[in-house]
Amino acid sequence: MVDILFALRYYFFYPSFFAVIIFPGLIFTTIILLLTIWFERKVAARVQMRVGPLYVSKRTGGILQLIADAIRLVFSEIIIPVGVNPTLYVLAPVFVIAFTFIPMTLIPFSAIPKTGSLLSPYFNIFYDYEIGKGVFVGYFVPYNMVLILGLASIVPIFILLQAWATNNRFAIVGAVREALLAVSYDVLLVMSIAAVAIEYHTLDIAKVVESGIPGIVANPLAAIVFLVGMLMGTGKFPFEIVEAESELVVGPSTEYSGFLFVLAMGGGYISTFALSFVFSDVFLGGWLPFTGLPGALWNAIKAILVLWFTVFLRSVYGRYRIDQALRGSWKYMLPVAFASLVLGLVVGWLWIR
Amino acid sequence: MDKVKEYKKENNPFRLFADHLNAIGTGIKYIVKPQRITLKYPEESLTLPTGYRGMIRLYKDVCIGCTLCALICPADAMKMVTEGGKKFPTINYGRCVFCGFCVDVCPVDALKETRVHDAVFTNRRDLVFRPDRFNQDFDQPVPSQAVVKKVRVVIDEKKGIKYVPDE
Repeated sequence: MVDILFALRYYFFYPSFFAVIIFPGLIFTTIILLLTIWFERKVAARVQMRVGPLYVSKRTGGILQLIADAIRLVFSEIIIPVGVNPTLYVLAPVFVIAFTFIPMTLIPFSAIPKTGSLLSPYFNIFYDYEIGKGVFVGYFVPYNMVLILGLASIVPIFILLQAWATNNRFAIVGAVREALLAVSYDVLLVMSIAAVAIEYHTLDIAKVVESGIPGIVANPLAAIVFLVGMLMGTGKFPFEIVEAESELVVGPSTEYSGFLFVLAMGGGYISTFALSFVFSDVFLGGWLPFTGLPGALWNAIKAILVLWFTVFLRSVYGRYRIDQALRGSWKYMLPVAFASLVLGLVVGWLWIR
Repeated sequence: MDKVKEYKKENNPFRLFADHLNAIGTGIKYIVKPQRITLKYPEESLTLPTGYRGMIRLYKDVCIGCTLCALICPADAMKMVTEGGKKFPTINYGRCVFCGFCVDVCPVDALKETRVHDAVFTNRRDLVFRPDRFNQDFDQPVPSQAVVKKVRVVIDEKKGIKYVPDE
């Protein structure tokens, strides 16, 4: 009996299951996604001299609104337009959400000490020889920086597929904008991460965190470039150009309704959350000074703060035109990205060994 | 022809960056210290100024039954009815656009605009006010359990507008 309980505990807390499905993974992300939508509405209302959702549950500031929204979104009818390919139409948003979520399985959430932690039994399985500790991650790859960015940059292709499959003019215009933006933000993301990689002499995020120096101190330029690239890539204000509501309805997901719409729109929030974890790990010191599950919690708090900062920007900024955004990224941010590479070279040579 | 004056375009990237920080700082200032101007209507309601074009009432003993109000009504909301050999206007609030022409045109000031505008009717027949009902100030029972706070708008230098309790 006790053996079965031990086995159950072992498999429940196995990082490939626990990290991916439960704690910083799917279930936690869904809850955070709903909270973020509520927070976005509340904070935009606060800055714009309004109150926001309130009367659903007055005492808690309308927090039950998110449950009402979730129920409404999930149970509304799915309409498949005449003249689309139904298979592609349904599959496109599923691919979008899948490929925005896959990077979450590769991001190191915390380190596993050899003894004294709930996660210590998995020390040897998730052993990272670069830091000499285990890593709390769904699937450990020593070159996870490259793999995360590579998988995250597949998403625009599925957004294009989604727009093409819906056969809608607004969607096509949105997809063209996404294609233009995707080129520019991928360059920014990859260059800022490359700067960090050169600086810390590694492609492993866990080693960057365990070096003890947060990236924002070691290379603030890369942090700015990564943040701007993240805002652009996930369609947050001021770069909400793909889903420009006042121009394009909701861009590539115009034709979707019901649960498919949730999948199509949730992709943006999930990829922001995944990139927020990367930002928190690489630039904000990740799980330090904790390890094990408290470290993952601390890391998640940082990531949520980054995510909420990005949604807060909605209340401050208007929307750039597509040409302004492209000019901003190629004329202003790209030189900053080069400067961050040079800074990474110099600091990595002089300071970080 | 005069040269069109052009504003110099700001091209200093550091200045642009500082402007972005300034914008975010302003946003955070508003989060910490929100300046909401929403009127939470059922709990607070505005005291409307004199001359507000709200629901209209009739003074039956002043009315001379001249039909001018029914003639001028652009929405056909006013109709005349005969009651005891005398003509009186009736009003249908389903049609009324609250333009106030009937009040302006009345030669003996038998119609008056009240300051009530927030009314609820549960069926369309209630929207038609026969002379007897039209003869009194419009008054709907306020919700019993809710405490309605009457407020008044004042111009505020910092916030734009704010509400102060009335009476």
